[in-house]
Amino acid sequence: MISHKEISNKEVIQEVFSLINEYKDLNAFITLNEENSIKKAEELDNNPSDLPLAGIPIAQKDLFCTEGLRTTCGSNILNNFIPPYSATVIENLENAGCISVGKTNMDEFAMGSSNETSFFGNVKNPWGKDLVPGGSSGGAASAVAAGLVPAATGTDTGGSIRQPASLCGITGIKPTYGRVSRWGMIAFASSLDQAGPMARTAEDCAFLLNEMCSHDEKDTTSLDNDIPDFEENLNSSLKEKKIGIVKDLDLSSLNNDVVETYQNSLKEFESMGAQLIDISLPNISLSVPTYYVVAPAECSSNLSRFDGVKFGMRSEDAKDLEELYVKTRSEGFGDEVKRRILIGSYVLSAGYYDAYYKKAQQVRRLIKNDFDNAFKTIDVIMTPTTRGPAFKIGSKGDDPIQMYLEDLFTISANLAGLPAMSLPNGNIENKPIGLQIIGNFLDESTILNFAHMFQNETNWHMYTPEGIKQ
Amino acid sequence: MDKKTVTTISYLSRLKIDNDKEEKIINDLGNIIEFVDQLNEVDTTEITPLTNPLEKTAKTRKDIVTAKNLKKELLEVAPSANEDYFLVPRVVE
Amino acid sequence: MSWETVIGLEIHVQLSTKSKLFSGGSTEFGAESNTHVDLIDMGLPGVLPVANKEAFYKAIRFGLATGANINQTSSFDRKNYFYPDLPKGYQITQMTQPIVEKGSIKIAVDDYEKEINITRAHLEEDAGKSIHDMFEGETGVDLNRAGTPLLEIVSEPEISSAKEAVAYFKAIRQLVTFLDICDGNMAQGSMRCDVNVSIKKSDDKELGTRAELKNINSFKFIEKAINFEIDRQIRLIENGECVVQETRLYDSEKNETRSMRSKEEANDYRYFPCPDLLPVIISDKELKEIKENLPELPEEKEIRYINEIGLDESEAKIISSSKTMANMFEAASSKTDDAKLVAKWLVGDISALLNKDNIDIDESNLSAENFGILIERISDGTISGKIAKSVLEEVWETASDVDEIIQSKGLVQIQDESILEDIAKKVIESNPNQVSAYKAGKDKLFGFFVGQIMKETQGKANPKAVNEILKDLLQ
Repeated sequence: MISHKEISNKEVIQEVFSLINEYKDLNAFITLNEENSIKKAEELDNNPSDLPLAGIPIAQKDLFCTEGLRTTCGSNILNNFIPPYSATVIENLENAGCISVGKTNMDEFAMGSSNETSFFGNVKNPWGKDLVPGGSSGGAASAVAAGLVPAATGTDTGGSIRQPASLCGITGIKPTYGRVSRWGMIAFASSLDQAGPMARTAEDCAFLLNEMCSHDEKDTTSLDNDIPDFEENLNSSLKEKKIGIVKDLDLSSLNNDVVETYQNSLKEFESMGAQLIDISLPNISLSVPTYYVVAPAECSSNLSRFDGVKFGMRSEDAKDLEELYVKTRSEGFGDEVKRRILIGSYVLSAGYYDAYYKKAQQVRRLIKNDFDNAFKTIDVIMTPTTRGPAFKIGSKGDDPIQMYLEDLFTISANLAGLPAMSLPNGNIENKPIGLQIIGNFLDESTILNFAHMFQNETNWHMYTPEGIKQ
Repeated sequence: MDKKTVTTISYLSRLKIDNDKEEKIINDLGNIIEFVDQLNEVDTTEITPLTNPLEKTAKTRKDIVTAKNLKKELLEVAPSANEDYFLVPRVVE
Repeated sequence: MSWETVIGLEIHVQLSTKSKLFSGGSTEFGAESNTHVDLIDMGLPGVLPVANKEAFYKAIRFGLATGANINQTSSFDRKNYFYPDLPKGYQITQMTQPIVEKGSIKIAVDDYEKEINITRAHLEEDAGKSIHDMFEGETGVDLNRAGTPLLEIVSEPEISSAKEAVAYFKAIRQLVTFLDICDGNMAQGSMRCDVNVSIKKSDDKELGTRAELKNINSFKFIEKAINFEIDRQIRLIENGECVVQETRLYDSEKNETRSMRSKEEANDYRYFPCPDLLPVIISDKELKEIKENLPELPEEKEIRYINEIGLDESEAKIISSSKTMANMFEAASSKTDDAKLVAKWLVGDISALLNKDNIDIDESNLSAENFGILIERISDGTISGKIAKSVLEEVWETASDVDEIIQSKGLVQIQDESILEDIAKKVIESNPNQVSAYKAGKDKLFGFFVGQIMKETQGKANPKAVNEILKDLLQ
């Protein structure tokens, strides 16, 4: 993590805000926390602390509740919502010394892969102002890639950390489901959501992950398992380590540069002593359809609380309760969110439950079983993170399925609850692209180890967009 | 996916679909359902659904009152409330 | 032609836990509006439920007491619908794996007994309260009750009259109060019920279309609502119309049920497993502990009272039928060695006073302690039964201490034979005619002399002693 012994914490924070201001056309932030941040920095300067992340500026995805600081989840319906409490992740990071400089832009309720569904306008990719940063953690990825902040939090339900990391040329990890508490994370799909760090390097991610993880009795899906020191294994040798290559993934649909980049990275790992082993995940091609039943079903219920009664926005001039509900939700939610709520209501409704929801959860088990079998013989699985580099804003038109297929490689890890990360491994037409490493249950250390060793040998993670000062 | 189905699910979801968007939405939803229909090609007899990746059991609470009185804070975040209650347009039973 | 009535009850029992089913919010009744609302009860974005184990334990007690199966693995589902006092837009309940299944309970109606099967009893969270009549054009929402644990007890459709329905509800109420899992307070809504009513011709195989009567919370209204509904359905069918499956609201003022079609409109609750809550497991050890600590139930008490204490069946039945009565009996008996006398007074004078004031014994001024002392004083002869009556009445009014009353009013019984003998002699001297009449064989005049002596002593004379003395003197 950037160390800045020579300059004061206050100067660092001031520099962060001048950068954010300079690059505000990236639209990476929804709400800034300048006053408080500077106050905290001054306190740190006055009584220096030995906290692990003391003074580190961090950008928080606007999906985490922050006490007293507006939290919108990228939606009009929470436009004016100021939470009375903070997410466990936020508390953990701030207790470790981090300074939350602001809330980053995102696809509305994390539903999107391009950041185009945000009520607060789409985020631009620092690698090209006409390019999407990916999504849903697009503001976070853009802010880190542009060097506005050294660290950011993201959340990943189907690839929302890994895909934007790939498209913006940074490193991000989605931990094992249950590693990081979901308390205070505004739920999209409860059985898939998981928070994780986004930064320049795997090492920085390890530092951040050490502080983000905790055992939280407020979240019954928060795991009790020991939390290792994620820095410990970063430099372990990869000799004899086994990398699973998924036969069943058809890469022919990808452009050659992507495939070539991917294969070069595999060679790089081989040269470090790792072995490539073909594995079979027979049901992986069903990940996307499975996801697009499970996630909408859960979100259709999770988003029912946004009804204009107790918090958030309420439509004016509703003449009765029914109208209050319908107007509030119709004005408050964007098209993609509505689309997913409708799909969710459909797959859960009488007569369709078994055919869709139950079926999808059964296939989900098959997918998880495939991974369990594979990990009996290998240490990690590698795939490209995305089908290609960042695409142009608006280029996916409004064909939802084209957008859904963006998450082809990332979704399966969420369905199975496995840790997975993306790290920069190439550059196509001056646009970064990422490699995905999927690990076994609770085995973040091993994928961070692979990523760190790769970053020792390569410098893709050091590439920065033109015109961005570092 | 037809007009009638979309009317039902939008009622259940308390969402209004503008007439000009209706056709596209029916069409989109139709495509998505068609897309996920490929799940039916898999044989899943005897397969228990996996509703959460953690096949563990829940931690539970002891029966202790821990909550503070948040009346003021909670009524403050409400779009409409008086000093005692959240308010909505009159509901007729 | 004759009609058969088929009734099923869904009784919602508020479990008497301190905190809510999924939050640390208090379940206390009658608090200032919205003061017992935790972030979780409010359904704020980002909050998560954590189940209260005590609610499971209480539900299991009910299961064991009704001989039901306990599902040691039980899970939660979401029931999705919009209503202002339902903060999350869904209710967390147990659809697929309820904690309790397949129990039964015995009910007694007039001259017969009957076993009613219980399909299931599952845990779910209560909603808040909507206040409709307080503000012009607006409805107020109080979320204090939101998240209070409910045990929904669903009976099989085996109840065949309004009377049986009431008897069933009473049996459930008696059970949950004895099990100490619910205070049984109907006025505060601690127990509420929905009633499914349908009718069919006696020889019909399948059931008729049912109507659901919502949220009735008094015995009286259950009976009236059901009887009205039965008549309504019979009238419909006999006029060649048919019963619609719908929810109906009972209006106690008009004594009628009316349709709530508004609620029916395309209702599809879209149940699905709650992804925030993993299944809850009850270990064999936990189950064993609950079994061992199960409170004594009415039938068990009745038998013990008869066999070990020697009460008559009728006394034992009356006393064991009410938790408060049984508590009073056991507390008072422990304060005296004449338990049978305690029982006599409970079913006699005290029951009479309770009926007169139409209150429950724990609402009365009589403490078990004080009651025990009263019995003590009777059995040790300090006061006569007649005096004791007046002492009890005084305690009933003023709650003052039995011994104080006896002292201050000088009610201590006169045992001293010499004193009684003097009084007796005086009485005999001053009534020569009666004496000769008695001696001539008018035996019933004996009572006259006793009466005179009691008059002289304001009833404080020990009757036994008086009898003996008179017998001697009048020979």
